[in-house]
Amino acid sequence: MKGFLKKSGTTSVLATLISILIGLVAGSVLILIVGIFDNKIGLSGAWDGIRLVFIGLFNTGRDASGVMTFGFNPANFGNMLFRAIPLILTGLSVALAYKTGLFNIGAAGQYLAGIAATLFVALEIPTTVVPAWIVWTLALLAGILAGALWGAIPGLLKAYLNINEVLACIMTNWIAANIVTWLFDLSNLKNVTEGTKTAYIYKTSFNGVETAKLGLDKVFAGSQVNAGILIAILFAIGVYILMTRTTFGFELKACGSNRHAARYAGIRDKQSIVFSMGLAGALAGAAASLYYLSGNPEFFWSTYQSLPAAGFNGIAVALLGACNPIAVIFTGIFMSMLQVIGSQITFLTPFNEYITDVIIAVIVYLSAFSLVIRMWISGRGKKKPVKPAKADAKKEVKA
Amino acid sequence: MEQSPEYVIEMLHITKEFPGIKANDDITLQLKKGEIHALLGENGAGKSTLMSVLFGMYQPEEGVIKKDGKVVTINNPNDATALHIGMVHQHFKLVDVFTVLDNIILGAEETKLGFIQKKNARKKVQELSDRYGLHVNLDAKIEDITVGMQQRVEILKMLYRDNEILIFDEPTAVLTPQEIEELMQIMKGLAKEGKSLLFISHKLNEIMEVSDRVTVLRKGKYIGTVETKDTTKEELSRMMVGRPVQLVVEKDEAKPTEPILEVEHFTVPSKIHKNNAVKDVSLTVRAGEIVCIAGIDGNGQTEFVYGLTGLERPSAGKVKLLGKDITHATIRERSLDGMSHIPEDRHKHGLVLDFTLEQNMVLQRYYEPKFQKGGFIKFGAVREYAEGLIEKFDVRSGQGPVTVARSMSGGNQQKAIIAREVDRDLPLIIAVQPTRGLDVGAIEFVHSQLVAARDAGKAILLVSLELEEVMSLSDRILVMYEGEIVGELDPKTTTVEELGLYMAGAKRNNGQEASAS
Repeated sequence: MKGFLKKSGTTSVLATLISILIGLVAGSVLILIVGIFDNKIGLSGAWDGIRLVFIGLFNTGRDASGVMTFGFNPANFGNMLFRAIPLILTGLSVALAYKTGLFNIGAAGQYLAGIAATLFVALEIPTTVVPAWIVWTLALLAGILAGALWGAIPGLLKAYLNINEVLACIMTNWIAANIVTWLFDLSNLKNVTEGTKTAYIYKTSFNGVETAKLGLDKVFAGSQVNAGILIAILFAIGVYILMTRTTFGFELKACGSNRHAARYAGIRDKQSIVFSMGLAGALAGAAASLYYLSGNPEFFWSTYQSLPAAGFNGIAVALLGACNPIAVIFTGIFMSMLQVIGSQITFLTPFNEYITDVIIAVIVYLSAFSLVIRMWISGRGKKKPVKPAKADAKKEVKA
Repeated sequence: MEQSPEYVIEMLHITKEFPGIKANDDITLQLKKGEIHALLGENGAGKSTLMSVLFGMYQPEEGVIKKDGKVVTINNPNDATALHIGMVHQHFKLVDVFTVLDNIILGAEETKLGFIQKKNARKKVQELSDRYGLHVNLDAKIEDITVGMQQRVEILKMLYRDNEILIFDEPTAVLTPQEIEELMQIMKGLAKEGKSLLFISHKLNEIMEVSDRVTVLRKGKYIGTVETKDTTKEELSRMMVGRPVQLVVEKDEAKPTEPILEVEHFTVPSKIHKNNAVKDVSLTVRAGEIVCIAGIDGNGQTEFVYGLTGLERPSAGKVKLLGKDITHATIRERSLDGMSHIPEDRHKHGLVLDFTLEQNMVLQRYYEPKFQKGGFIKFGAVREYAEGLIEKFDVRSGQGPVTVARSMSGGNQQKAIIAREVDRDLPLIIAVQPTRGLDVGAIEFVHSQLVAARDAGKAILLVSLELEEVMSLSDRILVMYEGEIVGELDPKTTTVEELGLYMAGAKRNNGQEASAS
């Protein structure tokens, strides 16, 4: 058991779990405080809220007498998986860049570029002429490509002009926001049928383009889930293999870890940086494509005043997953679970969904302290400091 | 006898274990007041661990530490500071963008209502620097002063905190010969003023010159303590390595054959000033010889090598490798054409410190069919290859091939680089200060490897700042001064003094290599 606790993999998972637990408790405390000081809510209302924070996924609504009921809720599960799609992919985008020594804060801009390319392709190519599945594929590829190109710009600036990628990313985010608004402004894709809505673009289902459901909608009845989640998981596995198994990943990591040494070893450092950012952008673009190609979301095209949250949520997902592509699958799903819980809280209690934002904030904040938590776990019950080495590695010393 | 109060610090029977390794095994170290005590040992002998124990960064499994005869417990570096123990680390702990004065008072600032009061501090630092001859501009930023000056700041930091026991961790590894000479004088001055100095080193010359007593460690074990005046370099190196060490390189007459590297009118612009760092250099290195570029640091050697290896672009001139023009080739192409490079800065260029040892071992070869198939790395082959190199070149590390390079001792990092470069078996080896920071045993090893490579018909271009190495290892010496080759010397007929005159720019001949213009 001791050896198990000392393993670096175990401790980092445990550290994450502890961060999550503290975050959930913090959210509960907040609910409790609000509940106590608000006569209309009271302790019982707060208790409902707290239960939702922890097991909201299993909530099945309220019965006739107004008591919350719990059980397997397929719609909640399905929606959790659906909302996880963009979170996993933007999380991967940030994680991949981070593993190669770059901080991709530009996922929001790459996401927007992906949305624009995807929607234009998905809506402008008539499915009466081209089969829908071809349009779908083209739209996905267009989104990935657009994200990649948009991500490559800060990469190019960093590699050839030594401009900090964070600054370049922030600027390209807003440039994307304005360009996208302008492009849709010119387009004829504005949703005119639903009169009360302004500044929205048609759903891709308007043109009959939708991600296949593969029967998932039967398993999780009443939800929006589709095959996109499987594609996102495949991407995660792909990124994991790329980074840990291939020579290309070796080059990218070497470059990120020590650009000078990589150059010395004959690796093209400038190209590697551009590739890293391009790949990160491609993942963010894929996030946008798969989200909008699900058929139902409508895009609010007047984005020049705000950036999509998906891009920044990716940072939280990646950090919580310690930038491990496989861990990102789980942290992405976890974050989307919190989003589902957020809507449950809004729907079923007087509290609002921003409670979950507080929880996410606390968790991300704590995950920055994960090293401290990890040391606490592995040093527990011992007065002597433990050498921070990978104890799971083969203990072979040639004397 | 162990109770004797003549010792300021006593570390008695210290044992410290790490998973898989006994870093310190029953080690005793006694430091007298006012002495310079050298701690000698190979890379990885346990010197750093012992000092970490003294600083409370590790707790020993066994043994006690006494200060002035009284047992003390040191749980963290703050305890050590409270006992007036200070240390100059090998890699300085300074804030680059702060001034010298700010760095000295950092952590021990005098404040009034929360505002820092620098007046008294400045006075005290000024007094200290006058008293010990540690002259340094207090208002200069750390990033603007030389490494030697930075070291003085570290020493002043210790003195400012009224430290009585001063530990110098391989202080000369980063210094030029002149700076080393100055440091020796400073250390002697400190000892005369009653400070007790612990001098960690594996450079025998310096130990002989400056220390009063020497304690020798080998592979974590205590070997003995001797009076410096009663011992010799040979005896110390035997104690340290455990066998007699060849302090002079043994090699036969070189039998140079065809030219491997031909450099013509090579010019590299400087990044610091407007002039060229390397001016119109022409030279030839033939198979089966070691050509050494000697010179004082900063005379264009670094830029010359950068230009040769493709890290920087030359502005004029031509480089031919095995007759092929590689002036504008990429680094990878040069590597494939037969150039291997032991870089000057092992942390900047030589290693990816956060990679494992095995990953570093294949840093330039991961793409070879031996190590990859269809873009996927063959981990088994990499592991096997790395284990082979570790065995063959005796690279010591905590966890073998999966050790993170950062956690290895400097000497073993260097050995890993040498292993990697020599094992590539390429016709040209460019070795820049290959023995920097190594102990005598390792130096002997590196020298014998380079001589063996030479005898196997490799061309070796050596860049070295160490006169001894230049004289003993090279077959021809080219002296570089202010970016030019100012002379070609034969190590068999020249003297160290003459070489020194060339290096200082006081003398020059137009040897055949330099006369090309």
